[in-house]
Amino acid sequence: MALFEAVRLHKRFGQRVVLEDITLAFEAGTTTGLMGPNGAGKTTCFNVLTGHFAPTRGRVLLDGRDVTGLAPQTIARLGVARSFQTISLFDTETAQDNVVVALPRIRARVADAWRDLARDTAAQDEAAALLGRVGLRGRERTRARDLSYGERRALEIALALAGDPRVLFLDEPTSGLGADGTARLADLVAELKRRYTIVMIEHDMRFLFRLADVVHVIHWGQVIASGTPDALRGDPWVARSQLGAG
Amino acid sequence: MARPPPAVRVEGLVKRYFAPGWPRRETFRLEADFTVHGPQTVGLLGANGSGKTTLFELLTGSNLPTAGRVRVDGLDIHRVRYGERDRLAIHYHQSYQVRHFRRTTPSFLLARAARDRPLVHLFDEPQFSIADGYIGFMLAFFRRLRSEGRVVFVCVHPNEPFHLEILREACERFLFVRSGRIVEFADFGALVADDAVRAYLGALAPAAPGRPPAAGVS
Repeated sequence: MALFEAVRLHKRFGQRVVLEDITLAFEAGTTTGLMGPNGAGKTTCFNVLTGHFAPTRGRVLLDGRDVTGLAPQTIARLGVARSFQTISLFDTETAQDNVVVALPRIRARVADAWRDLARDTAAQDEAAALLGRVGLRGRERTRARDLSYGERRALEIALALAGDPRVLFLDEPTSGLGADGTARLADLVAELKRRYTIVMIEHDMRFLFRLADVVHVIHWGQVIASGTPDALRGDPWVARSQLGAG
Repeated sequence: MARPPPAVRVEGLVKRYFAPGWPRRETFRLEADFTVHGPQTVGLLGANGSGKTTLFELLTGSNLPTAGRVRVDGLDIHRVRYGERDRLAIHYHQSYQVRHFRRTTPSFLLARAARDRPLVHLFDEPQFSIADGYIGFMLAFFRRLRSEGRVVFVCVHPNEPFHLEILREACERFLFVRSGRIVEFADFGALVADDAVRAYLGALAPAAPGRPPAAGVS
């Protein structure tokens, strides 16, 4: 049984077909890429999988358990973490404190003031370890707003990892990154994929083909093609595209 | 055993639009009469404003005809519950293409779709781009739908040579909308041999045996 599954998902916004009969299975330990043109339904698919939208029809299963329609926080607590296309950090706090407040046991103590967190050395150590895991060792004390764009993206991934997720969703992780930033992020994801089950939306085919074990192409709200990067790269029209030319 | 009904039967279909005021002045007219018997991939061509999207709206039941009927899998699409029409025929369009139409009959008076997966898939001017590499996956998807027994309509207004390549590779049969009527072609060769189609394609028209290449093609 797959760790996480979407079964015959449909989503309509009025008359507009946004998702039509999407079935996907994410196996534990694999990295899956979802790609497709703009407006193809990738982000809506993510939003349905992570509980941000309810599907019009269909089911979402985590470890065989039906989690369709559960609130995003509930799905997150069950082990589904996600990063967003747009960055959401506490800019004036340090990288490490951003991670500390994302730790589940800290999140539960909502009334605590930031200064009390400094005394929770176990939480600080945990946060520092997570920062190390995303390549931000040495940047623990830097305020989030003083990090580079690429470092902020890495910090966002650290926040998603704070809940020790069973599935990590990354929504267009390379968006806004230049060539160097993308290369560093690719190294980071290559490292993370040894430890986590990852699902990522990405329009950068080259990035996805390097990192994903399986890629699903989404268009018209459906899975129009699936395969290993090698199999998909064999398509003659891919060979004629920028990807093939490069 | 009874023969299954044709997948799509368009009978005496007429759609007319009028400018406001009196006497009524017709501003748009589309007439269609054709049948798709079984699984097939059909290319639809025509100039902007010729009525390609209107035809798709009539086939999916979102737009009401002035006269005539559309049957999908034997059911009159305009007599099927609004929310279930896309179980018969589904229109994929860009959000800016979605038009909203008045619904006059309460849904409970209408028939059920009797299908779970749509039989007819209408792709309205898909954004084909060589650069992004998706064309092959799109064409493979059309082939998959057809192999599953569906009918695929692909509407394209060719303005690049590769658009014709796509039509030739993907479609078995063609409909050309011109001056409010639909002309049918049995295959790509017949399509691009037609004078009206060649005039519409202009410089994109492939060189045909016994014909000089179109002006502008070197």
